Amino acid sequence: MPEVTVPIGPHHPALKEPVNFKVIADGEKIVRLELDLSYNHRGIEKAAEQRDFIRVLPLLERVCGICSHSHSTVFAKGIEEIMQLEVPLRGQYIRTIIAELERMHSHLLWLGVAAHEIGFNTLFMWSWRDRELVQDTLEEMSGNRVHYGMNEVGGVRCDLTPNQVRAALDRLPHLEDRIARYVEMVNDQQTMLLRFKGVGKLTREEVLNYGAVGPTARASGVDYDVRRDDPYLVYGDIPWNVVTDTNCDVYGRTCVRIGELRESASIVRYCLENLPEGPVRANTPKTAPAGEIFSRYEAPRGELAHFIRTNGTNKVERVDIRTPTLANWTSVAMSLVNQNLADIPVIVAAIDPCLSCTSRITLVSSPGGTPGIITFDELRKRGQTRYRGCGP
Amino acid sequence: MMGVLPAIVYIFLFPGFVFLVMYALFFEFLDRKVTARMQNRAGPPLVQPFADVIKMLGKEVIDIDGVDRQVFDAAPVVALAAVMTAFLYLPVFGLSPFGFQGDLILVLYLLTIPTVILFILGWLSRNIFSSIGGVRVITQMFIYEVPFFLALLTPALMAGTWSVSEIVLWQQQNLWFMFLQPIGFIVALICLQAKLERPPFDIPEAETEIVAGPWTELTGRRLALMQLVKDVSLVTGCALIAAVFLGGPVLPWAVSPAWLGNIAGFCLFVMKTLVVLLVLSSIKVATGRIRIDQLNSIGWKYIASASLLQVAIVLIINYRWVSS
Amino acid sequence: MSVLKEMFRNLFSKPFTILYPTEHVPIPEKFRGRVAISDEKCIGCSKCSVVCSVQCIAMVDSPREIEFKEKILMRKKKPQVKIFKCIRCGLCERHCPTGAIYLDNVLSDSGTDQEAVVT
Repeated sequence: MPEVTVPIGPHHPALKEPVNFKVIADGEKIVRLELDLSYNHRGIEKAAEQRDFIRVLPLLERVCGICSHSHSTVFAKGIEEIMQLEVPLRGQYIRTIIAELERMHSHLLWLGVAAHEIGFNTLFMWSWRDRELVQDTLEEMSGNRVHYGMNEVGGVRCDLTPNQVRAALDRLPHLEDRIARYVEMVNDQQTMLLRFKGVGKLTREEVLNYGAVGPTARASGVDYDVRRDDPYLVYGDIPWNVVTDTNCDVYGRTCVRIGELRESASIVRYCLENLPEGPVRANTPKTAPAGEIFSRYEAPRGELAHFIRTNGTNKVERVDIRTPTLANWTSVAMSLVNQNLADIPVIVAAIDPCLSCTSRITLVSSPGGTPGIITFDELRKRGQTRYRGCGP
Repeated sequence: MMGVLPAIVYIFLFPGFVFLVMYALFFEFLDRKVTARMQNRAGPPLVQPFADVIKMLGKEVIDIDGVDRQVFDAAPVVALAAVMTAFLYLPVFGLSPFGFQGDLILVLYLLTIPTVILFILGWLSRNIFSSIGGVRVITQMFIYEVPFFLALLTPALMAGTWSVSEIVLWQQQNLWFMFLQPIGFIVALICLQAKLERPPFDIPEAETEIVAGPWTELTGRRLALMQLVKDVSLVTGCALIAAVFLGGPVLPWAVSPAWLGNIAGFCLFVMKTLVVLLVLSSIKVATGRIRIDQLNSIGWKYIASASLLQVAIVLIINYRWVSS
Repeated sequence: MSVLKEMFRNLFSKPFTILYPTEHVPIPEKFRGRVAISDEKCIGCSKCSVVCSVQCIAMVDSPREIEFKEKILMRKKKPQVKIFKCIRCGLCERHCPTGAIYLDNVLSDSGTDQEAVVT
């Protein structure tokens, strides 16, 4: 077959969110890739400039459903640093517990999605069933399964009762047992090994060159984790390990994520057993002094960064969000060349893409155009003519 | 040969059209329920496949710009007719009244027609996903057809006949072929899974890679008929394996009133096809999808050589028996 | 093989699914459902309306005598929430001085009436 353009997206069953890959394929081999992001742009950075520090946190939480606590924590942490505010220790521990529980639920979700992309629906159903235990714990502690709303500038919104702590500790042994089972499964299951090994190889130099972060980078031997190298919350004080791997392919990324699941379970156990007494939040001033800060956090997908500029009022002047998925897209585009068409969903799923996080920029067409208003029908016609141009 | 009225009842009522469709939909329910229970979920209720077919028959048919509507309408009907005809030659209620020397080859030929129809549908839809899916259908067919035919050839060689009904009768006097030719049995099961395009071989219909492959542009009653083709192929495949390897619907001893023997045989038929379905569902649950190039290497390296080995063993046994 | 053992064990045990709405879904105490307002406690301070993240709380006229900190006040207004705009973030519950506005922990049944079905 001659070279054809296979449009993977914006609507495609392999993708959970809209992204446009125009794959130029020769038979089953990929020749070239053209990437088009930003279908999910919602103007969050602009909307954040109009809300004060209490009302902006629910907005920033809703940047992404899976890593919602990450966004609100990194913002609150940045504002607290500008205000030079000290968060009480119990509040820090509770934030860490929720953060690690979020990492666990995100990695279990990823395991299910990766299995679904290769058609192994059994592992998908089993890992999401175990994820329900984490979600039940989060629901007991915070009131909601996603978008927990635990953070405030200055600490945490509410405390953990002894009953909640005990219920969470009771669920942990079952989870740890299931995680051990997944380690076994990933090493034994023949179809998973066939589809994951040797696929999407990225050497260490390529990873450093393209700027990949998170488990994608750690699977190629890059030993970098923001929790250890720029410590925040209580990661500097409690015992835990960074998980790396040297396989450099999708199998390596799977091993890194399952290793991180084990580490998170032990961090949650340590924090629950050693929760210090005390208040959970500090008294916060209404306004923040003028300043700029670059606040970083290890989200489940990698290094998340917020750049915050304040100007002495009770609102931010500018918040710029650089999510880990945005940093990982180049490595996907580069590693897909010369692979099989059947490997596209696997390689894309291996970086754990979260397009709601990524879409922070959007390209507006035609320089020199005048602003105006466009009706829905005209917009629809424009989209149809644009997309008829690609594909047979 | 049968009279005209019994033949019409056999073809259209039992075990022909009506029974076959009901049994096929029941098989789909069982397959989905067993899969769901193995995955720790609840699974659909009994009426689900029936409701699905009835609903899809009433939905709107979307015609594609510039595609031949008549071929698209006729193709699922031709495929359904082919698999239903294949079922008539398999023993269900006693031996098949239409059996003749060579009907094994006829059944195998009719079972390949749906695959070719899928390729034609994939090629004719003016859609990049469907053409890639159609190419994958044909590639997969080349890989599994040879071992499948060889695995079904060896029982015919040992029984010395080309009729499925006579293979069943031979097994009544001797052992089942599952014990006499275990390699052939396993190869036949794996190739049946590939023919029915179920995991790990559901490459042509890979939902996460190429939307739905050749099924993408099927809508409304065309999709309902093709879904029925899939289910009827499942029943026909299970019945073929049950007849050729598991002894078919006959008791190991003769029973005096013939109708009592036939009823007992029918119960055996149901049980044996259910066992084959259970094995196929377990394979489906336990594996993920492999790539077409990996199937190529596994198919030619291991499966084809296993079937050739089985043929060689049978030829040697035949030679030694005949010569001694 | 661990997968095969688990598959067959699952075949004979109860499924993990809760068949909502015929079966009961366990709800924890802190579940954030629909916003509810308790009329006897609300003093009409408008703090919920100011702090609401999506500005879905309007203050409507509702005069009533309320006892607050051993004094009798004359309340003028009461909050009214647009149920379909609310994102259940819980800021109103957190900042209410009397605990009059709170998020109810009830999971609604399935049905066809829009107002009745939203949690």
